Amino acid sequence: MRLGVSILVALAAAATAAEQPPSAYVVIVHPANRTARVERKFLADAFLRRTTRWPDDTPIRPVDLGPDAPARIRFSEEVLSRSVASVRSYWQQRIFSGQGLPPPELPDDDSVVAYVLSHPGAIGYVGPGTALNGTKILEVN
Amino acid sequence: MTTSTRFLLVAVVTVGLALRPAAAAELSLPGQLPSLDVHGFISQGFLLTSANDYLADSSRGSFEFSEVGLNLTLPATDRLTLGVQIFSRKLGPLGDYRATLDWYYLDYHWRDWLGIRAGRVKLPFGLYNDISDVDSARTAILLPPSIYPAQNRDFLLAQTGVEAYGYTRLGSAGALDYRLYAGTIFLDVKPQPGSPFTVVDLNVPYVAGGRVQWLPIDGLRLGGSLQFLRLDTDLLAPSGSGRVALRIPATLWVASAEYAVQDFLLAAEYSRWLVKTESSNPSLFPEGSTTSERAYVLASYRVNSWLQAGTYYSRLVPDVDRRTFPAGMQHDFALTLRFDVNRYWLIKAEGHYMRGTAGLSPSLNDNRPLSALTPDWALFAVKTTAYF
Repeated sequence: MRLGVSILVALAAAATAAEQPPSAYVVIVHPANRTARVERKFLADAFLRRTTRWPDDTPIRPVDLGPDAPARIRFSEEVLSRSVASVRSYWQQRIFSGQGLPPPELPDDDSVVAYVLSHPGAIGYVGPGTALNGTKILEVN
Repeated sequence: MTTSTRFLLVAVVTVGLALRPAAAAELSLPGQLPSLDVHGFISQGFLLTSANDYLADSSRGSFEFSEVGLNLTLPATDRLTLGVQIFSRKLGPLGDYRATLDWYYLDYHWRDWLGIRAGRVKLPFGLYNDISDVDSARTAILLPPSIYPAQNRDFLLAQTGVEAYGYTRLGSAGALDYRLYAGTIFLDVKPQPGSPFTVVDLNVPYVAGGRVQWLPIDGLRLGGSLQFLRLDTDLLAPSGSGRVALRIPATLWVASAEYAVQDFLLAAEYSRWLVKTESSNPSLFPEGSTTSERAYVLASYRVNSWLQAGTYYSRLVPDVDRRTFPAGMQHDFALTLRFDVNRYWLIKAEGHYMRGTAGLSPSLNDNRPLSALTPDWALFAVKTTAYF
């Protein structure tokens, strides 16, 4: 009986895992970054430049992919709760009222990896399967 | 250069910029200096009203609706930023294409919860005052005119002084965003067509206030703004009958709510502006006090990457003690379509049904009293903007 319940639980867990869609992006930071895990809201604040420092006071340097990149679209909807176009509108407001500049937009995943590796406070996201070349994956709650 | 040549020039440059895909320029400076960020926009609009002249000679159709802006931002260090925006516009009798420094500042971002800006800084009043001339950042051509009157831009857009700002997380209660400022507003003495008085001197001894916004959940902003200012002016009465000094203290407040999630946006604001007039010679210029009431509700939706639709209802009552029709109120029902041709060029078309004449200017309408103007009228506007 106990074995049967265990098998059922294991099957249910496997089914649940199989139903979860694969993540469309991986959040990466510089290898020297001591932060291992962040809240989604921290990530959103970092990319909207409302939060500008890591806990160790290093300036956060967010970097975006281009507006049509699938990883950018999913990241924007899931982390920022806005479409890419809405985020762009947010930055238009900030730019022309003198309140801030958007993160740089890089053309592809490899460029994001290279940027993150060359800037200690950098944070970016790339599509799954991208060669991370030593960048550190950041876990998002 | 004639006015029509200027219009043509603005239109040609707009189309030329838009057809050539551009990106924000990042200029590398020599040595170890950080890069300079450059952004800009050019707009050309057209206004047509079924009756009455609104903002320009709109009853005959007017192209006197142009804006050009160029800004430079230099993140000098990770805490210090310098910025400047040059702006020029023509809106009916306002602007006349004169280039002005729209804003300029030195921003020291000490912590996320405290930063200081000094210079000419946009006034954070309500949800959208500081973006009222940023066409690319919204759906509507004209922001709800009850709270964001286009003709008051010189008074309400920016102050020269200091501002403290910050953003702080409140744990599970969300976050708080705040800005506090104090300074002055430099105004030019301009002839007032239709007024029997001649303005000799005009200054704002102080403007001070703040805006606090609570962000309890993703996309929701609940806020309040409060502003105190005083306008001092010396007037010369008609036919040399004397001089009168006026002090006009004003208190403005607005309560705001906005919910923006994915491609949907809903916003509403309610505001009251209390304006007193203290006169050195009440027989020449009477003293008084009025409270105006202003409100709107707005919704917009991004249908796809190139189309947005928006609508709002805006209500203006210039004097809450005299809610007469048509001169004592104006209801504005607006519908907008925005087409994003590409990432750097947009075209908007907007229709308004107006009921009431309180938002009209007698000087634009042959000095006829507002009560004598057509009470039900329509406004049609189109505007194109190129930006990078």
